[in-house]
Amino acid sequence: MNTRSIRFRLAAWHAVLFVAVFAVLGALLYLSVRQYLDDTLLETQGRRARQIAETLLVNAPRTGEAYVVSEIKSLYSPELSNRFIRVSRADGSVAYVSGPPNDQSFDPSGVPALGPGTAAASTRLQKLDDGRSLLVASFRAATAEGSPYVVEVGTSAEPVQRFARHLLVLLALGLPLVVAVAAAGGYLLARRALEPVEELAVKAENITQHNLSERLPVTDTGDELERLSVALNLMITRLDDAFSNSKRFVADASHELRTPLTVIQGELENLAADAHLPSDQRDRIGSALEDVERLGKTVQKLFALSRLDAGEAQEEWIRLDLAALAGATSDQMLLLAEDKNITVTRDVGSPVHVMGDRARLKQVVVNLLDNAFKYTRPGGSVHLKVHEASGRGVLEVADTGVGIPAEAVPLVFERFFRVDRDRSLEGDGAGLGLAIVKSICVAHGGRVDVESAVGSGSRLTVTLPLAAG
Amino acid sequence: MRILLVEDERKVAEMVSRGLRSERYAVDIAENGDTGWAMAHTYDYDLVILDLGLPGMDGRELLRRVRVRNAKVPILVLTARDATESKVESFEAGADDYLTKPFAFAELVVRVKALLRRGPANQSNVVRIGDLEFDRLTQQVSRGGQRIELTPKEYALLDYLAAHPGRVLSRTMIVEHVWDQSFEGLTNIVDVYVRHLRAKIDDPFPVKLIRTVRGAGYRLADEATT
Repeated sequence: MNTRSIRFRLAAWHAVLFVAVFAVLGALLYLSVRQYLDDTLLETQGRRARQIAETLLVNAPRTGEAYVVSEIKSLYSPELSNRFIRVSRADGSVAYVSGPPNDQSFDPSGVPALGPGTAAASTRLQKLDDGRSLLVASFRAATAEGSPYVVEVGTSAEPVQRFARHLLVLLALGLPLVVAVAAAGGYLLARRALEPVEELAVKAENITQHNLSERLPVTDTGDELERLSVALNLMITRLDDAFSNSKRFVADASHELRTPLTVIQGELENLAADAHLPSDQRDRIGSALEDVERLGKTVQKLFALSRLDAGEAQEEWIRLDLAALAGATSDQMLLLAEDKNITVTRDVGSPVHVMGDRARLKQVVVNLLDNAFKYTRPGGSVHLKVHEASGRGVLEVADTGVGIPAEAVPLVFERFFRVDRDRSLEGDGAGLGLAIVKSICVAHGGRVDVESAVGSGSRLTVTLPLAAG
Repeated sequence: MRILLVEDERKVAEMVSRGLRSERYAVDIAENGDTGWAMAHTYDYDLVILDLGLPGMDGRELLRRVRVRNAKVPILVLTARDATESKVESFEAGADDYLTKPFAFAELVVRVKALLRRGPANQSNVVRIGDLEFDRLTQQVSRGGQRIELTPKEYALLDYLAAHPGRVLSRTMIVEHVWDQSFEGLTNIVDVYVRHLRAKIDDPFPVKLIRTVRGAGYRLADEATT
């Protein structure tokens, strides 16, 4: 899973937010439930304490403590209802304390005495020595005689605490479920929301310079995606315009250059055909024709380059053996090397399969060998090698030629670049050969590199992706 | 032989028609697509030379219509536009040959002749130029009865030159026919091979058969007889 995808991040954020909200709500719920239960219990205890104080203890001087105690026992039967009741005199001595409760939830004798000076009515959570707690409400009953009693009524905090624990466990158990549901929900929501984006991306990927007239589907939803697709379509329209402008420019430029060249060449040929022409004039016309032909070739190469750059390279796209192609092509050029007394060695025995346009790749071999022959002096040698290296097809042409100065190495693939006019031992060509090699390599998803040392030679290395299988 | 030339560039049209007339063809010129269509519709031409970029009816449309009307007339397309697809499109639309401007006039003539001949010439197996003789089946070459050994490329070069005796063939034409378009950048490859061929078939003999025409190319002919 792509952890950087919006889908993943939205789902994660969704989950985090849900968990945070759940945690906060859970905490609030827990705290308020506890508070409520404690308050309710304490209120009940307080009411009882007040009842005992106002109905029994105020009359204690008249009825006697023993009567009060028996009344408490019979009316409230604290042991049976698991309640704690204690009546203390003003001096702190205990007039009555209930016995151990039925459920043994606390030990009445262990409940510390209430300190002096407590308010007329108070409540507390009394921690016992054995770790258990008691919710206790006390009430001060002032009798007519002024000897006040304090009555305390309590009950075990255990049930409330148990309930709170249960609630906590439930909340804790619910958390992973919330995480899962939030993450899954977030993921699904994000996926649904982003599905049109994915669709747009796929459609946009399929638009290349060859089908720029196509447009992305615009959903009439009024949302951000509609805006995005409209914006993308506007961009494609601008690209389309730019491409067709440049295409039209190339076509027009081609027409404007080629038409006059045709006329010049035709008329010059016509003139040269005149049998009565003095030989010096025939020579001058011939010289002009040579330049017309050269100009024509330059025009043709320039347009070939612009076609390559526009991505119109592939007239065909087939699987071919680069080694065999290089071997056969060099066969046809060997006489050029022989003519200059250059030794050619070849290492093209093992097949290297690449995908591409045969004529274009042949052009690469021709231009590289031509270049090597041109810049190698008689007696030198040229080595042609095709092999596979780290999953790529490699074609190397190494010569023992004059080499390229270090500062010129980065420029050799530039159009019209020539290291030095004097260096060109055979000064034809417009300096487009290596630029064409580079454009063809790039159009085939490959590259061309050069290593060179002045005086010892150059090595040009073409690297192309291997054909699958 | 009557040729219809549909070409809107007046100078190109004049140049081409003048050249073709000197080769003894009758040439009609149409300066736009509509006229071209009217003429192609009215007369029976032996060959149509058609420029693709035309005012009025587009060259491609005209090509398609002419082809629909007459499936047999050979059509040679000329173009100054530079686009790979136009070449493919032209052949798909029914063109028989395709020539990109600028071209050597000799190239045009060679192609016109080939189209008018429709199919290989009545090439006899044995070719004789002066006292040079070779057999297309065995590829054996001799001059003055003396056997000459040629490499396959040298033989292909000789064969091509001999197929158009007396005509100047440009280096571009020679490269395209003896090698292929990938070698077009190497004009000196022709010079080197011609020099080697000369060393074998001309240098040892007093009469030279291969002539260099400056700025134009090479010509193979027995000058003594032509």
